[in-house]
Amino acid sequence: MIKCVVWDIDNTLLAGTYLESGAQLPGPDPELLGVLRELDHRGIVNALASKNPPAAAEYVATVTGVPFAAAECGWGRKSDAVRRIIDDLGLGADAVAFVDDDLLERAEVAAALPEVLVLLPEDAVDAPSWPEFSPAVITAEGRRRGEMYAQRRRRQEEARAFGGSRDDFLRHAGTQVLIARAGLDDLPRLHELSVRTHQFNSAGAPVGEDELASLHGSAGHRLVAARLRDRFGDDGIVGGALIDRGEANDSGVPPDAGAARSWTVSLLMMSCRALGRGVLDALLAALCQQAVADGAAELRIPCLVTERNVPLRLALTAAGFRAGAQPQPGEPASFARPLTGSLPGLPDWATVADRP
Amino acid sequence: MTSGDRLAGGSGAAEGSGPARESGVLAELRAILGRVTGREQAAVIAPGTALFGDDVGLDSLTGTLLLVEVQHRFGVDVAAEDLNLDCLATLATLAAFIGERLPARDAR
Repeated sequence: MIKCVVWDIDNTLLAGTYLESGAQLPGPDPELLGVLRELDHRGIVNALASKNPPAAAEYVATVTGVPFAAAECGWGRKSDAVRRIIDDLGLGADAVAFVDDDLLERAEVAAALPEVLVLLPEDAVDAPSWPEFSPAVITAEGRRRGEMYAQRRRRQEEARAFGGSRDDFLRHAGTQVLIARAGLDDLPRLHELSVRTHQFNSAGAPVGEDELASLHGSAGHRLVAARLRDRFGDDGIVGGALIDRGEANDSGVPPDAGAARSWTVSLLMMSCRALGRGVLDALLAALCQQAVADGAAELRIPCLVTERNVPLRLALTAAGFRAGAQPQPGEPASFARPLTGSLPGLPDWATVADRP
Repeated sequence: MTSGDRLAGGSGAAEGSGPARESGVLAELRAILGRVTGREQAAVIAPGTALFGDDVGLDSLTGTLLLVEVQHRFGVDVAAEDLNLDCLATLATLAAFIGERLPARDAR
């Protein structure tokens, strides 16, 4: 259960930058202001960690009208600031969430304090509906999520004590990634992932259940779901892909036998909660295999190039995908790889099941 | 590399002539790669070694940590300056990318 949220100020709580604004100081982000008030109302404590002078914290407290239990302003590492807040408030690191718009700050805190829940501002907008931010709401899903967090804590404790490489630990934990064609029952979860994923999302636009259902029924398309579990627990569907098989049409007429066909992944996504457990690498390897089995000569993954999805671009690069020319701002880069030569290997904990 | 070396700031990597600076960058990058990947062999690789190949085994998580360490140590934000991440092809391409961006910063 989250008891304290530590917020960045510039371009997170404020709709702009404190220092660069001169006389015209930016106001609070309206959506996050609502989140701040709601958390405060629920008894969840808010705090600030910012690379700004202390006056910035006073300004934020004034314009939001929300009390902050701690404020760390300075130019040191954010993880040190978060650690001081944890110590000041006498909390466990696993009771703390950290929200920052900056990828490098998020990665630095995630690496130094793995128990802290690290979120994008967009994630934080959803957070009040999550069970770990909802002390009073006990639904079946909430109980399940609570149990998932207990599992996560046990997994992290064992990983810290383990000592070997990450791959060795994934094997030791009995990690299983099952990649299969999505069934109709899976569509609500795929829709939810398309809304909730930001750091690992190639398209940046939600896909409605109606559209998913129509793609599910189309011979020219394929929907893939990735499930994750290990001996600590079952996380269910944590990733997915929407694929255009490159057929000319949906009428069932096969394309020219000689024509080279490409698979195009219009959406590739993974929950940030599955980070570090090999899901994305397994999914990319499986997509390459399935595209080859379907007779495609190339796998294309158009990917919006933003600062927030750097981890996704790294995974694409690691799997042998290369982008063409530098894309225009706001346009996706055309990451692609030929399906010849050595394909990315499927990790030994991944299973690909293909429905007939 | 000890923490004392890191606190010493630009000495070694950021001073001296081009080749000396580049070899300093290479040495620091090897140490960073050894740390973020947890693989001892990553700390002794040749400049032409592919970072996403079997020797280093960079992935989305360790790659992000590498970019964070590079920004802290050299002040170069690779993800912002090379959107396609082409400079992460090999140890040498990353060292050259960082080396090209160091002199301007040191000249201030």
